[in-house]
Amino acid sequence: MLELVGIDKVFNAGTVNETTIFDNFSMSVKTGAFISIVGSNGSGKTTLLNIISGTIPINAGKIILDGDDITKLPEYKRARKIGRVFQDPAMGTVPQMTIIENLSLAANKGKKYGFEFAVDKKKTEYFKEMLLTLGLGLEDKTEIPVGLLSGGQRQALSLLMSTMTPIDLLLLDEHTAALDPKTAETIMELTDKIVREKKLTAVMVTHNLRYAVEYGNRLVMMHEGKAIIDKCDEEKAKLTVDDLLSTFNAISIECGN
Amino acid sequence: MLFLGTTIDGLQMGLCFAVIALGVYISYSILDFPDLSVDGTFPLGGVCCTIFMLKTGMPPIIATLLSFIAGALAGTITGILHVKFKISKLLSGIIVMTGLLSVNLALTKVLTGTGYTTTIFSYNSVGIEGLFGGKLAGLLGGGGKDLMIIIILLVIVLATKFIIDIFKKTKMGYMLGATGGNERLVTYLGKDSGMYKILGIAIANGFVAVGGALYSQLYMSYDNTSGSGKVVLALASVIIGMSVFANIRIIKNTTAVIFGAIIYSLCLNYLVLVDTQGIYTKLLNAVLFALILIFNDKISHLIKGKTYSKKAVKEDA
Repeated sequence: MLELVGIDKVFNAGTVNETTIFDNFSMSVKTGAFISIVGSNGSGKTTLLNIISGTIPINAGKIILDGDDITKLPEYKRARKIGRVFQDPAMGTVPQMTIIENLSLAANKGKKYGFEFAVDKKKTEYFKEMLLTLGLGLEDKTEIPVGLLSGGQRQALSLLMSTMTPIDLLLLDEHTAALDPKTAETIMELTDKIVREKKLTAVMVTHNLRYAVEYGNRLVMMHEGKAIIDKCDEEKAKLTVDDLLSTFNAISIECGN
Repeated sequence: MLFLGTTIDGLQMGLCFAVIALGVYISYSILDFPDLSVDGTFPLGGVCCTIFMLKTGMPPIIATLLSFIAGALAGTITGILHVKFKISKLLSGIIVMTGLLSVNLALTKVLTGTGYTTTIFSYNSVGIEGLFGGKLAGLLGGGGKDLMIIIILLVIVLATKFIIDIFKKTKMGYMLGATGGNERLVTYLGKDSGMYKILGIAIANGFVAVGGALYSQLYMSYDNTSGSGKVVLALASVIIGMSVFANIRIIKNTTAVIFGAIIYSLCLNYLVLVDTQGIYTKLLNAVLFALILIFNDKISHLIKGKTYSKKAVKEDA
């Protein structure tokens, strides 16, 4: 369970560029929920993820993850319980390291990174089996530096790496936005599969309204730091892309676009 | 004979600088941190080692190893300035390098006890026996001294190389590589990437200081200005080595860096044959480095291999 209580977030406070993103924003995410967050640019979607992950500090409020107040924890400590996949496929892997090396790093998350050898022969087999389930042919490329893989392959790997170890929360930050439509589809299906299999709690920011409607069990539309649509389960299932589009248009007219 | 002598000098110098280059390989290549404090930690290693040997009568090997700690401490400061106080990489290096000028001078003062001397603080053969004087080097007789020096240096260089190679394969070594390649990933593995940066810069400068310690023992002198140009020298060695051998996978980066240092030192020594007065040494040094950077790609394409280069991948990304 993730709870955001009374979050205030102001950028450039005290200057002419002062921008209030969140003013007393609250939200709670039940364990096992898969939330899609949509909204126009500047509506606070990515800021929301950055606040949860601790990438940026908040001005007021509390963030509670599974009963622990994590508001003051630095990003790297929160990350022990949080996985994240970024929009840029290069962000989730180390480009000059091979697939196996990357997976070995990820598999050790939460443990000590000491003087033991990082790559273990036994694990290599296990990693190859895991790559086989992706169906991207990566199991034959395990000794290739990740930097040489395509964006889709890297993103699949990032997804695998961020969910390898037990986590309480998965953050997906427009993770299909930089991919071609077909690859994006594959990654989205893979995401859904992993979230279901591992029963993860996931928060996904996306610009793809269809994905938002099709996947997950809760949909939130953000506008000016507020959730203007927030539907769960059956109500969410009734939502269509057209419903979202009409709301989008209404907002745009309101903003004078 | 002059040519042979120059080659031997070049080899000795090259092996000595290989240790520095291996240190800079850690900071520049693995951590992606162009660390300028090297210009200060190199003489720091030299003066510390000299003090340990002359003032405490410590065995040269121990003195050399202790100079690693001195360099690592200085490197830690560079790391902390960058990580904790958000000073840019270049400026953190410059700050430490500048500060070390005085530290080294003060340490020199301790040694002489006669006050302020900026220039050559030279103990002759009576002073520094180091690793290379004494019984060990005498084993092959008078004429074999040069060869013995090369062998001893080679052992030290290879030991350094293997330590770095093994370290790179450990979990901690992987995290160091990840810090250089993609800092965010380290954060998402639940670790503080800043700590790995500090650690890496400390280790790198430790090796640089060992290089300085070897240098003062090799030439049986310590000079406060010996640090100037060492960053360029080490970076040139790393870049030459890694571009010449970029396409040959069986040659590890560390080996390539050692060859880079030897190639660069030999070039410098042959240039001295032309520039006998030594006026243009630094200029030639700089021009040589510029040429290497300009023809970087062409060099690596001259030696073609079947597979990709790991370095090229890093630059693309």
